[in-house]
Amino acid sequence: MPSRFPGLGRRAAIALTAAVLVAAAGIGVARASDHQDNPLVELNPAMDMTDVYAFPGSSPDRIVLVMNSWAFITPSQASTTTFDPNLLYQFKIDNTGDAKEDRVIQVLFKGTGASQTVEVRGPVAPPVVGAMNNTVSISQAVISGPINQTLGTSTGMQVFAGVREDPFFIDLEQFFRIVPDRKPSTGQLSQLPDAPSASSFRAAGSAVDFVKGFNVLSIVIELPASQLTAGGNAKIGVWGTISR
Amino acid sequence: MSMHSSAGRTRRVVAVMTAALAFSLAACDSDNSTTGPNNTTPPVTRSFNQVQRLGNPLVSEVFLSKKDHPFHGSIGPADDAASFGATVKGFVAAFRPQATTLQNTLASVLLPDMLIVQTDKAASTAGWLTWALANGYGGRKLTDDVVDTGLSAIFSDLLDPTQSVCKPGALPLCTDNVGSHSTFSATFPYLAAPK
Repeated sequence: MPSRFPGLGRRAAIALTAAVLVAAAGIGVARASDHQDNPLVELNPAMDMTDVYAFPGSSPDRIVLVMNSWAFITPSQASTTTFDPNLLYQFKIDNTGDAKEDRVIQVLFKGTGASQTVEVRGPVAPPVVGAMNNTVSISQAVISGPINQTLGTSTGMQVFAGVREDPFFIDLEQFFRIVPDRKPSTGQLSQLPDAPSASSFRAAGSAVDFVKGFNVLSIVIELPASQLTAGGNAKIGVWGTISR
Repeated sequence: MSMHSSAGRTRRVVAVMTAALAFSLAACDSDNSTTGPNNTTPPVTRSFNQVQRLGNPLVSEVFLSKKDHPFHGSIGPADDAASFGATVKGFVAAFRPQATTLQNTLASVLLPDMLIVQTDKAASTAGWLTWALANGYGGRKLTDDVVDTGLSAIFSDLLDPTQSVCKPGALPLCTDNVGSHSTFSATFPYLAAPK
């Protein structure tokens, strides 16, 4: 099992307790922190959105949008974990400053496993604004193709949907050492002491990146920023949603 | 006594953040959620209900209590200020009660909960909250240390010197002392290949 998490294991060895926990981890690592904020998410990791990013693309007039989901995919699960074809993944963009979406990019999947395909529609005005969502007409321009491949064109929209290394990083274990009353009830992090055993984060050489070594399902879309802005207003608000 | 109460306050604060971060790092590993192929094309349109929403990192996880998370996930950012403005300010006030500037600043910058991007600003200025702090591009880069940024915003004198706990990026509570573990590609799709 430690061989699956070489980085995690190496760093964790700095702290005896951590080392013990990681050695006992295995698949259980992924159960380390219970996602109890939403029963739906707890039961269905495909609904668990972990991070959203937005940054400049291959040229200053292009923007990259990233939505990650499905926390803690282990290396052994990386080739078999795919998106849920029953969910609607969306980037929503406000370009008028009212925090309501003026453009949506809708992402849907067909099939499961290695042959899964992705369909991306938009950016277009949403059929319905708000948390109740309708798919846009299938007649809308679409980029589609297999997951885990780069689709589209580098001058228009580019799409990648598939498994990637999780870019997020945090010393989660030390959080729980500082405040153990919020530690999870199951998994190896639940084994940390019940009483506070730290009052500070760890020194640089001792801190442990709990996310290192795991993967997520990423939806990466790059497109001209002008497709998201409107009316000469260069300022936009971006958020991701997952709907069922 | 003052040290004791300070330590207690620190513990409470971090307790909330820790719990919240735990949620964000949710660890669900069952990989059998999809029960079979779905090769049918949806007929024209299909209706869905939103169950998850994410704009700024850490916001819902850090500032909102567990019971508010399903609600947060089911509404849009337009309802954030009314729904969670007092909650965000109250979270900050719990450990820096006199830092009203900080409370108001964080509430106004983080709500509505969207990643704000000023697309006409230089790409070199991109980074989480740079739109608010430095009139930059904003957004969020893959390399952004949002945990340190968030901790520093909440605990340090970066936005408000009143009752600050640490210097930006410094121990005990303004950094977790871990950095990006990924080697990102300079070209699409940017994120690193899976481990």
